[in-house]
Amino acid sequence: MLKSLNFQDLRKKAGSAIDHRVRIITAGMGLDELRAVVRGDPPTEKPNPRYKVHTTSFLFHIRPRYYEKGSTILSHTFRLGFFTAFFFFLELFTGLILMVYYTPSPGAAYQSILELESNVFFGQLMRDMHRLGAEAMVIFTALHMLRTYLTGSYKKDRSFTWLTGVILLGITLGLSFSGYLLPWDQLAYWAVTIGTSMAEAAPIFGEQVNLLLRGAPDIGAGGLLRFYLGHVVLFPLLAVLVISIHYYKVSREHGISLPAKYEEGNVSAEVKKNAKSRLDFIPDLLSHEVFLTTLGLLAVVAGIVALGYSAPLESHANPQQTPLDTKAPWYFWWLQGMLKLGDKSVMGIILPTILVLVLLAVPYIDRNPHRSLFKRPWAVSIGILSVILLIVLSYMGLPTYGIEMPAATRIIQDVAPEEGPGPLYEVPFDQLQPGVYAVSENPPDELCPQIDFGCPVFTEVFHGYNDDVIHASTAEGLEPYQQLPNAEAVMVVEDWQNDLRKVTMRITWDDVESGESTTYEKHVFIHRNSGGE
Amino acid sequence: MSRINVEIFLGIIIVLLTGGMILAYGINEQARMEEYKVAQAASAIENGAAIFDNNCKGCHGVQGEGVAGLCPPLNDRFFFTERMKEVGWTGTLEDYIISTVAGGRLVSTRPEQYPGGGKPAMPSWSEQFGGPLRNDQIRDLAAFIMNWESTAPDRETEPSLAGPPVGTDITQELPPGDAANGEALATSKGCAGCHVTTNNGPAWAASAGQPGIGDRAATRIEQDDYNGAATSAEQYLLESIVSTNAYVVPGFAIQMPANFGQSLTAQETADLIAYMLTIK
Repeated sequence: MLKSLNFQDLRKKAGSAIDHRVRIITAGMGLDELRAVVRGDPPTEKPNPRYKVHTTSFLFHIRPRYYEKGSTILSHTFRLGFFTAFFFFLELFTGLILMVYYTPSPGAAYQSILELESNVFFGQLMRDMHRLGAEAMVIFTALHMLRTYLTGSYKKDRSFTWLTGVILLGITLGLSFSGYLLPWDQLAYWAVTIGTSMAEAAPIFGEQVNLLLRGAPDIGAGGLLRFYLGHVVLFPLLAVLVISIHYYKVSREHGISLPAKYEEGNVSAEVKKNAKSRLDFIPDLLSHEVFLTTLGLLAVVAGIVALGYSAPLESHANPQQTPLDTKAPWYFWWLQGMLKLGDKSVMGIILPTILVLVLLAVPYIDRNPHRSLFKRPWAVSIGILSVILLIVLSYMGLPTYGIEMPAATRIIQDVAPEEGPGPLYEVPFDQLQPGVYAVSENPPDELCPQIDFGCPVFTEVFHGYNDDVIHASTAEGLEPYQQLPNAEAVMVVEDWQNDLRKVTMRITWDDVESGESTTYEKHVFIHRNSGGE
Repeated sequence: MSRINVEIFLGIIIVLLTGGMILAYGINEQARMEEYKVAQAASAIENGAAIFDNNCKGCHGVQGEGVAGLCPPLNDRFFFTERMKEVGWTGTLEDYIISTVAGGRLVSTRPEQYPGGGKPAMPSWSEQFGGPLRNDQIRDLAAFIMNWESTAPDRETEPSLAGPPVGTDITQELPPGDAANGEALATSKGCAGCHVTTNNGPAWAASAGQPGIGDRAATRIEQDDYNGAATSAEQYLLESIVSTNAYVVPGFAIQMPANFGQSLTAQETADLIAYMLTIK
């Protein structure tokens, strides 16, 4: 009897000691409470220990205690803000790992990327994740802003939150753009050269701004170091600071906006009451966030492993040679498109600055108190028009739009681009049979009948080249720069070295204006193992 | 089931799925890295080939076969097996190539055989020493040159002539020349190395107010300081090729190999002259 009493006493004592420890670690929740949380049961004690966590724990202190049920509807937020933050943390995590392997100097940067990809376990995966996450973060930031705009969530006490959000959009672009240069390949070098040259267009102090950004008239060691430090110190610090303000406003001050229909729609009081009922952070919102995190990770990993996304890497940066078809990062194409429309400083600096100011001031300009789509036709149509305009301008920013590249250069660039993948690089090495292949009206159906398996891929590539030349030579109604009168063209494949072949493409034509015979020629070397560029 | 249960259930499946994909990726990682290295080496060779084509073929031959009496071949067995011993190089051959390309050669190590392009015998190519190439480009170039090893021919052999050599008689009647073939010979016989690519010899193209070699050949023989024996433009060019000491253009030293009379056939010489006459 005594014995069993002692045992029960001990058990009780031990249980309460463990419970006490657990309460310290969880900042307020005991063992029973934890069990109830996981099982989805109601709180076991009063006052609700799940709220206590929010007062005692720093990390939970900055999280919301609850959101209104109606504001968490998937079709209202699409979790866009959550995923923007998710990608920011993914970038921090992968970025810290990549930093270990990276050297920010022109002589070593490119080599360090090659070594990361060829000599570090999961090195390529980390780089791919970092790049994919960066693109996704820009996309989700933009979509998040569009959603906030369309649901009218920037109004009243959320106007300052909108303003910090616009600043965060700028910081996100800054983060992405500053990271663009770091691989120090041709893609990076020229995209950033184009991007920073827009700053040059600024009136009065443009040259100084450019010098400040690049560290010299052209991007070199100084510019790379500036972009690196901006990418790993300045912009992340700014981002953490402004995200803190932005997020704290949402989580602790005004919450996520309710869909307009619950605020101003014609719905019953009961529905309204239900929409305003609380959805607690512990356990509902927290478990949902963990779930979304796993989903986000799956999407990124699947994008790389299953769908084969790979961060591009072109050849080593070469300030002496501008590759054809150079373009800015995609989120600046609209700016390039605008630059094609008019004066550099008006289109490149003054208009975009006005645009940013207008964006910052949206809540203060738009005094319409309603939030429903149907009660603010002007705001919604301006929003939709802006999106369409942005897409059209981005298309106009592409190097293929409005730039008159001579036909011969264009044709050969299409077959074998200076940088990046191209049809010629996809041809299996064994199909690239040495020989002289002349362009004619009726090219042979099979280029290499001498080999058993033929060369279907090479034949297709040659036919593409053949047809382009014939089209430029004979088609009516082409612009002068697209014409190749009396064109004669060949593609010559030579054995050059062990496992190395040289492909020469030569087009000769009579110049449209002078009538003189003109030749454009390009040599490409292809190695058996290069697997494309 | 509540939403939390569903999310926990789905979340576990997703984590397993993600983990499985990372595992599958990880299993293949060693092979992927090997493949990347191979592709990287291949792409270095491709880059090196383009750099060689742009900068080196003028002196060392289109295919690295060298130019007799000017620059040594880089694609023969001797280069890969004996050259390091000859110069007493203690590093690897690749290092030797990189070092030579980067720093160039002030004087030739084999002045009788391969005097090179004057002074310096070979210019320095590295950016660090005032040349145009970055270090990674020089490494790529070395990778390209090293790739000749597996196919390097055993000995440096003089290509056998297709006919009797032209000799040194400048009054002989040459067969009709083919300018297009002459253009190819200008590169393969190494003429372009000094007369087109560099200015070790008088430039063929029109330069410094002077017309091209085709016009100059006719006016040269009328100049007062001309002390050769030619009486026509064709003869002047033939004389300049086969009898290099007969007349040296002022401002240039005699560097041109004197053995072209033995190493060219009459037809090849005629082709070359026909080509030179087209450069006005």
